[in-house]
Amino acid sequence: MSNQHSHNDDHGHHDAHGHHEETFISKYVFSMDHKMIAKQFLITGIIMGTLGMAMSLIFRLQLAFPDMKFPFLETILGHWGKDGKLDPNFYLALITIHGTIMVFYVLTAGLSGTFSNLLIPLQVGARDMASPFLNMLSYWFFFMSSCVLCVSLFVEGGPASAGWTVYPPLSALPKAIPGSGTGMTLWLVAIILFIASALLGGVNYITTVLNMRTKGMKMTRLPLTIWAFLITAVLGLLSFPVLLGAGLLLIFDRSFGTSFYLADIPADLAGGIERVGGSPILYQHLFWFLGHPEVYIILLPALGITSEVIATQSRKPIFGYRAMIGSILAIAVLSFIVWGHHMFITGMNPFLGSVFVLGTLIIAVPSAVKTFNYIATLWKGNLHLTPALLFAIGLVSFFISGGLTGLFLGNAALDINLHDTYFVVAHFHLVMGSAAIFGMMSGIYHWFPKMFGKMMNNTLGYAHFWLTFISAYCVFFPMHFMGLAGVPRRYYANTAYDQFNVFVDMNIFITIAAIVGGIAQLFFIYNFFNSIIRGKKTVQNPWKSNTLEWTAPVEKIHGNWPGEIPHVYRWAYDYSKPGADDDFIPQNIPDEGQTDPLDEPNATVFEHSHSHSPEASQKEVVMFSGLKKLFGFAKS
Amino acid sequence: MKIFIRLIQSTFIIAALLLSSINSQAQTADEGAQLFNANCTSCHAINEKVVGPALKGAHKKYDEAWLLKWVKNSQALVKSGDAQAVKVYNDNNQSVMTSFTNFTDVQVKSLIAYIKAESEKPATATTASVAGSTTSSTMDATSSNEGLESKINWLIIIISVLLIMIIVLVFDILAKVGDIQGKPVIDWYGINGFLLLGFLVLGMGAATWEFIVHTPLTVNAQTPASEHGVIYDSMFNITLLLTGIVFIITEGLLFWYGFKYRSNAKRKALYYPDNHKLELIWTIIPAIVLTVLVVRGLKTWSSITDRAQAENAQKIEVYGYQFAWNARYAGTDNILGPHDFRKIGVVNALGVDPNNETAKDDIVTNELHFKVGQPVVLKFRAKDVIHSAYLPHFRVQMNVVPGLPTQFTFTPTVTTAQMRVLLGKPNFDYILLCNKICGSAHYRMKMKVVVDTQDEYNKWLGTQPKLASISTPSVSDTKTLAVK
Repeated sequence: MSNQHSHNDDHGHHDAHGHHEETFISKYVFSMDHKMIAKQFLITGIIMGTLGMAMSLIFRLQLAFPDMKFPFLETILGHWGKDGKLDPNFYLALITIHGTIMVFYVLTAGLSGTFSNLLIPLQVGARDMASPFLNMLSYWFFFMSSCVLCVSLFVEGGPASAGWTVYPPLSALPKAIPGSGTGMTLWLVAIILFIASALLGGVNYITTVLNMRTKGMKMTRLPLTIWAFLITAVLGLLSFPVLLGAGLLLIFDRSFGTSFYLADIPADLAGGIERVGGSPILYQHLFWFLGHPEVYIILLPALGITSEVIATQSRKPIFGYRAMIGSILAIAVLSFIVWGHHMFITGMNPFLGSVFVLGTLIIAVPSAVKTFNYIATLWKGNLHLTPALLFAIGLVSFFISGGLTGLFLGNAALDINLHDTYFVVAHFHLVMGSAAIFGMMSGIYHWFPKMFGKMMNNTLGYAHFWLTFISAYCVFFPMHFMGLAGVPRRYYANTAYDQFNVFVDMNIFITIAAIVGGIAQLFFIYNFFNSIIRGKKTVQNPWKSNTLEWTAPVEKIHGNWPGEIPHVYRWAYDYSKPGADDDFIPQNIPDEGQTDPLDEPNATVFEHSHSHSPEASQKEVVMFSGLKKLFGFAKS
Repeated sequence: MKIFIRLIQSTFIIAALLLSSINSQAQTADEGAQLFNANCTSCHAINEKVVGPALKGAHKKYDEAWLLKWVKNSQALVKSGDAQAVKVYNDNNQSVMTSFTNFTDVQVKSLIAYIKAESEKPATATTASVAGSTTSSTMDATSSNEGLESKINWLIIIISVLLIMIIVLVFDILAKVGDIQGKPVIDWYGINGFLLLGFLVLGMGAATWEFIVHTPLTVNAQTPASEHGVIYDSMFNITLLLTGIVFIITEGLLFWYGFKYRSNAKRKALYYPDNHKLELIWTIIPAIVLTVLVVRGLKTWSSITDRAQAENAQKIEVYGYQFAWNARYAGTDNILGPHDFRKIGVVNALGVDPNNETAKDDIVTNELHFKVGQPVVLKFRAKDVIHSAYLPHFRVQMNVVPGLPTQFTFTPTVTTAQMRVLLGKPNFDYILLCNKICGSAHYRMKMKVVVDTQDEYNKWLGTQPKLASISTPSVSDTKTLAVK
């Protein structure tokens, strides 16, 4: 880890946590500094991500070469890879843990945990999180959760193997599949610890954004990253407790003989107790009540990062700032009423299905608005095609490709023949998996200088982007066609089906592309750790960005700014503003004659900008006065 | 002389006996193969462990009398305390093997003969044949090539990685040179701008190629085998058309702008923070497109799920369990007998009440037959975990949930024979496959589906045994049972 942390002796700020002696442990291990916690989340996320990726390569080998033997499998997996053949049960375990790791540990904690922690205090102008202690707990719960999940790989019967959604009765009956023994118990324990971590983090993020903004940082001047993190935290806070409930009931069914999710299960299958009266579908409702908002918990931070990176590197204001906030809010609200589109063919009432179709397809409208706004931001920009911007463009590309296939799957009628096929695999790996990973990568390349005080190697960054981008499309695009041919997901091999044998070559191609993608990540990992140690030192504001984090010194200090916290005089996107000397005006720079940060900046120089003309700001006062009353104003 | 003749005679007799025995052995192994493929493959293979152990060499490991008892009712054997049975049971995770009480001794012996014959074959050949693949021999031939190919592939991967590393190194050195000279040597933004454009062109080309080459492999390219399949396909095509247009426009603009507005010394970005008219336009247009999709989609959905169709449809029960399917037909009284999960046992696998009058004429099969043009309502029931009955050619799928009856109503319109002609594949069969993760042999859990003409259907159903006569089904041996 970095040893950039230094000298907080003479900067003279007076907050409570700046002045105690720091030992190695309080600085690097049980740190309460949001910047260190962000790094802890990131590095844990990278380690978990590497594990998840390695697992996917193992099962991709099986899918491409079902008849071949790979002796190294026996070396690394022991009896699960006897004679070089992957055990079918362990195949299911691998896909389950791959999904769990990627969805929760990498794209929820690794992405949101890292960037919410790093950016919220720095971008709203706060010395730290509202509760640094809860923040520390949030990381350590996440750490414990990761450990429990990793331990579950080594128990008898193997880790949980019922798919990452762990539907009962498969996950409730240890007799149904070996992974539903101790492995499943540990999975549930890991998820409960994870939920604790997510909730502790979420409470903190919301409180910090609402209460600790610096003077002048109105809600309407927040960078879109912060809006995204705020709404993400709200989503998490409202939906994770439901998963906690679902998990607890599953634990009861597994361990205490209850029948919340079990119906008509003979005694010999269910530990000697006949189970009647429950409903397996109840679990699915509870799970997806989290599960669908979870998709946006993953995606919104990535979109927030993209907004920031695209605006900064295009040297242009983000197009339609208000529309962007509006679409984030719309997506967030809608995400709570569409969970049923994962369950169209569970036998639900067709009318209920129709309601979910309507909600699901409506989400496409705010999503389309976001996409068009990104493209409009690039239009007539001055694109600094850094690795960060390339990854952001990659995200938009995946968001389009994967989002459009959502219009097939969100349509209940079409879902009949596409449900649980490779079409679904292709869809969510593009729109949620690849897109969010690209958002995360974009964020890492963009804020690496802020995190570690060093620059990453650009050449390796470009190689990383192009290899990953091309291989991701090569892996997931062909899968659509397999799905349309009816190839089900989670099949260990397709050898028993004549009509699927035509995809032998395609499967080999996909696996090779996946291996290339895996190798590309080695470039990143090397670049990341090498740059921490030997990277070029960065200047304070390497991207000439407007947001507040770049006004803080490169040397990381507890409390972020020496002296007073900067006041904010404008929104975050005054790039290439006509009349200005530079192509950026940081948020803490007042316009001529602007003395009170709460005043609007002198914006007459650009008449097309409605939101900054006097009448518009008048309108804004009316429109947002309610919000202002609700949220209160920032203390400085 | 007499002795000589007798010697010749006896030699002949012995030879004839031997020959006939070999012959009959081959015959029994053949019969065994049929039985094996119909009843055993969802849990067993010869050379690999599936749910149950690999069966290679089982004929040597256990004596025949024991195997007879085991196959017919393994649980009884385990409960009797037979040491070997208990060991096998424990070694296999205490999973209960389906009992085949209806098998005759001859049939089990033919199974053993099949296992013996298969065990003696070289390994690769058997794996393929167990998979039921008609292309088994070609698979073998290609598999050795595949080994070589994969080595070449690995070599290509390693070489390209090295190549990339060298390129990175060169660029790095150039960048350092630029640092020393004080002005950058490489125009990174320019290079990446062109790469974005190249990706757009090549990517769209590759996507078009995929559409042309791979669409014929999908079920959408085939005539739908059911009535609602037609409206399903038209809904699909409309969605594909609309999303395709949006895909080309948006991806095109994204990469084109990425190329066109790449930074250079002269360029200055336009300060253009919003335009309400534009935003209104691209909120309303997607909204209109989606209204079309929603209205069309809901119409399609409600016509597919319309419950009125079920009224004069033929009721067939589809029963799923780890890892196989059964179908139950109502018999002459047209009523499916009642069932109760408490009655599910080793012999009564479906838990149908055997004493109920309406159940006695029910017919349980492990193939699913439909009459062409006759609406059917499939009534789904599961024993243990959630399965999903997926019939891709009919555009039919429904989850099969323990304790929660589900159903799907549709009308098959193309017979198996017609479909074979349409596809030009004489061996084609419709399938019903499991599409909800359900355990280790999930990927083998399937059932053959046949669409018959009325005559074929009647003939087939006539050969199926009634529930009163047996307790567990077996199709491959319908003749013997029918004679009984």
